[in-house]
Amino acid sequence: MSTQPHILVIDDEAQILRALRTILTAKQFRVSVASRGEEGLALAAAQSPDLIILDLSLPDMDGVEVCARLREWTQVPIIILSVRESERDKVIALDKGADDYLTKPFGIEELLARIRVALRHSAQSIGSQKSQIINAGSVVIDLALHQVTRDGEEIKLTATEFKLLAYLAANAGRVLTNQSILSHVWEPADIDRVEYLRVYIRQLRKKLEEDPDHPCIIRNEPGIGYRFMVDD
Amino acid sequence: MRLEFHLEVIIIHMMRVNPFRKIRTFPGIEYLLAILLTGLFTLIFLPFRSNGGQDHTILSQLYLLPVVLSSLFWGLGPGALVAVLSFLALNYFFVPPYYTLLVHQTQDILVLIVFLGVSITIGQLVGRVSKSLAESHAREHEAIHLYELTMHLAGLQDEQDIVSALAEQTLIALRARRVDVLVEAQGDGPARHIRMEDRSQPSRFQNETPTYLCPLESSHGLLGEIQVWRERTPLVPAEARMMHTFASQGVTALERLRLSQAASRSRLLEESDRFKSSLLSSVSHELRTPLATIKAAVTSLRSETVAWDSVARDDLMAAIEEETDHLNQLVGNLLNMSRIEAGALKPERSWNSLADIVASTLERMRQQTQKHQIEVNVSADLPLVPVDYFQIEQVFINLISNSTKYSPERTKIIIHAERLNGNMLQVTVSNQGPHVDAENLERIFDKFYRVTAADKVTGAGLGLSICKGIIEAHGGRIWAENLALGFAFHFTLPLSVEGFPLEAGREVVDE
Repeated sequence: MSTQPHILVIDDEAQILRALRTILTAKQFRVSVASRGEEGLALAAAQSPDLIILDLSLPDMDGVEVCARLREWTQVPIIILSVRESERDKVIALDKGADDYLTKPFGIEELLARIRVALRHSAQSIGSQKSQIINAGSVVIDLALHQVTRDGEEIKLTATEFKLLAYLAANAGRVLTNQSILSHVWEPADIDRVEYLRVYIRQLRKKLEEDPDHPCIIRNEPGIGYRFMVDD
Repeated sequence: MRLEFHLEVIIIHMMRVNPFRKIRTFPGIEYLLAILLTGLFTLIFLPFRSNGGQDHTILSQLYLLPVVLSSLFWGLGPGALVAVLSFLALNYFFVPPYYTLLVHQTQDILVLIVFLGVSITIGQLVGRVSKSLAESHAREHEAIHLYELTMHLAGLQDEQDIVSALAEQTLIALRARRVDVLVEAQGDGPARHIRMEDRSQPSRFQNETPTYLCPLESSHGLLGEIQVWRERTPLVPAEARMMHTFASQGVTALERLRLSQAASRSRLLEESDRFKSSLLSSVSHELRTPLATIKAAVTSLRSETVAWDSVARDDLMAAIEEETDHLNQLVGNLLNMSRIEAGALKPERSWNSLADIVASTLERMRQQTQKHQIEVNVSADLPLVPVDYFQIEQVFINLISNSTKYSPERTKIIIHAERLNGNMLQVTVSNQGPHVDAENLERIFDKFYRVTAADKVTGAGLGLSICKGIIEAHGGRIWAENLALGFAFHFTLPLSVEGFPLEAGREVVDE
């Protein structure tokens, strides 16, 4: 068995499939492609790829539905590809279990970086237990001890701040939608109180980031949510 | 085809009561009454009969009274009947020999014949006068109702209103129990069905077919019909005539409205047509320019005759990347423009930090802004604003891209935001570019408008008008200003809108 990661690309645009196949193969991935949702689902079941790149607009079914059906039986990382006009669909797909998204047109370096993060994330969650210590730049988070240090100095966090940070850090590398963060960290009734989230993110950044106005640890995902960045 | 009817039932309680209504409900009752009246008068006259039998000349004059009365009340026919009956009664009861129709004296024959002639003539005269009086009443009635209808129809700009007015006026004019007006669907307009009922009249017409029908006929065909339920029968000619006049008035009103609607529709189409053709001419040029650059760069790179050094390669690659970003922006602007044109640009608001939006905008525009110094003065401590993230990002992209196009390289572009007194946030994007003539400061936000001196600058002339559309959809204002050493765009955003109260945007106190 080859050790090259296997990537399945589901997209109905022949140009994109050709480009991705060429580029990803050159980057030492094994690539299979599907241009329809059903075909993609069948390939995913038959080949058990290590990662799936999924376009949201498919001719036979909605990409969101493909995502939901994949999640019924597999935790394989899914990266959504979509055009900017389908923001809502993107959020729905992320809430349905997709790990990340890219907006078309995208830069290939960016896609490769996302693929690396997603593969590492899935390797971690498969490898027995999740790490309890998370490193992000000069910040170290110990989820078990509820302790956060920056340059070795302990940072005092309130209970909500820690809960928020812990949720972000436990899903490091993944895009988390505002709604999913709100429903995990706050009460389900607060799912629309984006203002809470904005305020707490601001407070966390002040405490953790070198420059809160140019955050490197808790990154914005414009219009979608946030992503916690960890060291490679 | 599915006809969609809008049924609207309006109940009218009419207070007017017609005293003759019940009497008129049986045809022929007038003749019966005329006979009774003659009998009554005969009974009254009988006690005054003298034995000499010479008083029938006076009585013959008295008998004119029932003739006149019945002609007056019940018309020509009953009047003539009473004349003949009176003649017989006079002969039978009052001309000797009594209780026979025989007459002995020639003088009496003369009296009787004269009586018959006079009574019939008077009866006919009175009957005719009363008939023409009734007719002129009916005509006056008709004229009044027609006037009422025209007054009600005048100036109505809604089909539903016209149909309702027609139904209501028909109901009142014909004193009908119920009137339905049906108008068939035309174009994309729905079919209409209006029902007016007079509940003060007893209803014997539940779910029955209408008593009268009158088509609403235009020169282009049938538009619909008026259905009338009325218990009093039949329609007199004047009423039938009135119903048809009403129908034709209704048709005229409907056609007038439809014509004016068609006219305004075609005006709209014309405008959007003009918009589309200027968009096409402007956009096709704008799309080709970056495409030409990309094509040129790619073909150069693939060319085997030139060995590119790494700096030249990088330059060409950067050009390709820049131009694809540019194309992407253009497509985004086109989509937004079509949404603004279609009135479909509704901000999806949520609480956002302006600092985040500016940061992500600048990240997206890294390539485009390389040649300028960008200075950001937007504090993350500003209150949150209830805005559509992507629309406001688009505003920043367009304003910054406009600034990079018009201001010289290596100059400063400053993005500044501050809270105004009260409920507003003001953002300023300023650059060190040239001034715009004062009279054009507002026009630069018009579609396709470009300051003529800057013809070399690319852009479809859509960017600023999109900014205007977005900011106004957010309840803010956008304007431009010449600075002492440059040029500035300002826009305001409300800190609270309906559904997003100001308090929610304030700091949330931690536990």
